[in-house]
Amino acid sequence: MKKWIAGAATALMTLTGAAFAEGHGDYPDRPIMLMVSYGAGGATDFQARIVTMTAGNEDALGVPIAIINKPGAGGRVGWNWLASQAEADGYTLGAYNIPHFIAQSIEGGVSYTADSFEPIANWGADPAVFVVAADSPFNSMQDVVDYAKENPGGLTFSGAGLFVGHHIAALQLEKAAGVKLAYIPSNAGGAGAMKSVIAGEVLGGVNNLSDAFRAREAGNVKVLGVFDLERNSFMEDVPTMAEQGFDIDNASVNFRGVMVPKGTPQPVIDHLAAVVPTMFENSSVQGKMSAGGSPMHVMTREEVQEMWTARQATLQELLAGL
Amino acid sequence: MNDLPRNQHIIASGVVAAVGIWVTYVSYTQEPAAAFLFPRMISTVFVVLALWTFGKAVMGRSKVGAGLSAAAMKNIAPGLIVALIYIFWAARGLGFYTASTITFFILLSLYDPAPHAELRSWIKRIIITAGFLAVMYALFAGLLNVYTPREIFF
Amino acid sequence: MEFVGYLGDVFLPFNFLLLLLGTIGGLILGATPGLSPTMAVALLIPFTFQLAPAQGLILLGAAYTSTVAGGAVSAILLKIPGAPANIATTLDGHTMAQKGQGAKALQLSFLASAVGGIFGVLLLIFLTPVLAKWALAFGPSHLFWLAILGVTVIGTLDSSSVVKGLLSGCIGLWLATIGFDDIMGAQRFIFHPALGGGINVIPALIGLFAIPQVITMFAKGRASTAAEVIVVQKSPIKEAIAEVFKRKRALAIGTGVGSIIGLIPGVGGQIAGLVAYDQSKKFSPEAEKFGTGHSEGVIAAEAANNAMVGPSLVPLLTLSIPGSPTAAVLLGGLLIHGIFPGSDLFDNHPDVAWTFINSMLIGQVLMCIFGLYVAGLAASVARVPHSVMAAVVLGLAVFGSYSVQNSMGDVYVMATLGVGMYFLERFGFSAAPLVLGLILGPIAEANFIQGSMIANATSSITSYFFTGPLNLTLIAIVVASVGYSFWMELRSRRYTSKEEIMG
Repeated sequence: MKKWIAGAATALMTLTGAAFAEGHGDYPDRPIMLMVSYGAGGATDFQARIVTMTAGNEDALGVPIAIINKPGAGGRVGWNWLASQAEADGYTLGAYNIPHFIAQSIEGGVSYTADSFEPIANWGADPAVFVVAADSPFNSMQDVVDYAKENPGGLTFSGAGLFVGHHIAALQLEKAAGVKLAYIPSNAGGAGAMKSVIAGEVLGGVNNLSDAFRAREAGNVKVLGVFDLERNSFMEDVPTMAEQGFDIDNASVNFRGVMVPKGTPQPVIDHLAAVVPTMFENSSVQGKMSAGGSPMHVMTREEVQEMWTARQATLQELLAGL
Repeated sequence: MNDLPRNQHIIASGVVAAVGIWVTYVSYTQEPAAAFLFPRMISTVFVVLALWTFGKAVMGRSKVGAGLSAAAMKNIAPGLIVALIYIFWAARGLGFYTASTITFFILLSLYDPAPHAELRSWIKRIIITAGFLAVMYALFAGLLNVYTPREIFF
Repeated sequence: MEFVGYLGDVFLPFNFLLLLLGTIGGLILGATPGLSPTMAVALLIPFTFQLAPAQGLILLGAAYTSTVAGGAVSAILLKIPGAPANIATTLDGHTMAQKGQGAKALQLSFLASAVGGIFGVLLLIFLTPVLAKWALAFGPSHLFWLAILGVTVIGTLDSSSVVKGLLSGCIGLWLATIGFDDIMGAQRFIFHPALGGGINVIPALIGLFAIPQVITMFAKGRASTAAEVIVVQKSPIKEAIAEVFKRKRALAIGTGVGSIIGLIPGVGGQIAGLVAYDQSKKFSPEAEKFGTGHSEGVIAAEAANNAMVGPSLVPLLTLSIPGSPTAAVLLGGLLIHGIFPGSDLFDNHPDVAWTFINSMLIGQVLMCIFGLYVAGLAASVARVPHSVMAAVVLGLAVFGSYSVQNSMGDVYVMATLGVGMYFLERFGFSAAPLVLGLILGPIAEANFIQGSMIANATSSITSYFFTGPLNLTLIAIVVASVGYSFWMELRSRRYTSKEEIMG
């Protein structure tokens, strides 16, 4: 039934000559699936559901996008699946998280590298921030670093796991401040890491700006610094790390976007690369994203390709010492 | 007492013990050691308990569990073979719903006590199969939008 | 008493219609194997895009409460626990159904669910600030001991042989380590590509419980069903109500354990039912009847499952931390409307907050009424001939485990574990401790590793894991639980040896 409707819709659109002039035959003629390598309810899943909600519109892809979750091991499970088992026919897309999957491929033990995938478009950029509990004595990054200097290896702080954006931020902080810290990876993602900060199990934490924004609104945490090049519009009052005297760039910013496995036909990639960014620009998508506290940052395929190459180089250098 | 269950107990607990030994071996030899700390703790307990159980089976002191009778195995074999072919091959090879329909019908016919000679029992089986698959299709493909391997029917 | 002021909102015609829709839909989704409450709520989120925030949350709240209760239906009738929460329900519930008391088991489970559920939501309404502190009190060391406490339950679950019960638990713990290690990302025991993602709990649950059922039905061959037609006993609702309130101990233990444990982020929901079952067995004078279709088992397990629903949302609503996967999905449902849980929710959107909580309260009642109404009808499933039943359960198992992640790999895992479990069961191993190991393994491991990392950075492992009132209390309960199991084992051994001498 559904196929029939989709078929009829496609036929209708072909008749009116509205769509797919540049497409791969009649692609897409059935629903597309987007693999998210984190669980339902996580930030990536939540944002992926919003940015793809208009996919069925006539001016977008014309078919709905369904989200499939393949969570596990910081995203490795899902990306392994996409690189090795998914069909490269254009009906299987994947959501990427930079720097996570590039850092994991440098660390090794996974069946993908940045070359296993073709980027389509980027929808969001979520910088890492340093948070402490609302009643913490720390009021600036300098306080944190001073404490770490007095207690080498004794400053415990949480993050969402190893070889994800939060871990990269932690490594950058250690390097820039010249101190030894105790990074405690959480198995329950950013939410678990945030909980351990609020509960006082650890002295501080690296977390997503979007989650920290909500936690600060709720009065649970203080945000001491942003691991990015500029201050963020959601938190104009929080200084960047560079402003506080630490030489840290935006290598840990969590970029989220859509990619396909290598081997997907070029016309399909071109069609997606043309349509998907316009889908992200949709005003109702933008409205829902900003209401949810999720910073957007739309980038085209060419821009993402450049960003991937740049990250690959930075991360290789940063992780070489490990 | 019949010796059959005792031999079966030895085989069953022997298989479990072999798995336990393998798990322990892998846990203690694989790197990185930090990631295998917990498997080492578990596998040590695992292998001790498994060898204990194996020892009890060899001494003929396993009391729990009825074992397998030849008659039951004969009844199980055809159904199990059909089910395994369905799961490990047909679901992908023939298409999810096609394979499910065929398997459902075969299993029903294999175990339905109604006489095979009568047309009525075959009609009944076809109706039940069609009804079940219609419900499954409505629930999973219609309501839940589950994408099956290959196309929906083939 | 602010919530009373918003009670009327729930009964506005359109809102009430949504509530009904959510409840009935939730029961159906909950009864479908493979659809955990988390999945069911995630599936409904897109529908709430078109609705006002309060209305969307009515739908989600009602669906959440009734999917948890709906899971009992397949657990009792088919012995397929829809979610980890329903494992304990299968133990006595399915045995009751086999004895023809399916209608009664379902009625008891819905009534107990409603009592537990309403109590849980009331806790959420009146004690939220206190509960929020309690939810945060559990750090890695406490969660580790809590997981160990869960393991000690094994002695109660498997009455036949404690050693084989523990061995089954070890197999489960090992199975849980398959796949990528969650913290380091190292690969462990991946000997087939289908295991790359580790063993997902839901397909494993379906396989371990449903497939041995199917094979047992195969074993009956083409035997005529006439010989063993189960008489489905009618069960007047009045009697079921009387029974539930007669079993005050089980009801109280279930509700209490469910609301306390349900609150703990990350752990609670999965083991609340099993711990409640274990505790009410230990405190019951009729302990030996558990597992043979005893009403206390069903009541304790289901009261606990639903009592957990309200408190499990406390960390989300007050601290904006989702304490369970389902809470995480609900967070998405709130954020999409630009509402931030936390003080923002109660200060600036009290209508949304209280309508949501009220809808769960009324949803419990509706779920119970609707459940009681269909219980008699649903129980006639037990009369379906085993040839049809075997094929239906196999079909449901395959569809259910496939739909969790749209993955054939999960179906392979489900089938392999299921067939293996059938043979193991014939030799005295059992599925419940194995599943318990599978669920508790990752919790115990992750918290042990995190705890020792924190301990190494700050103090020593001994002082981190063995000091502090909460650690010591949990250790004391663990010791008591193990001691009690040993004592029971010794006592029953004395009985069996006497019988053997006499026989």
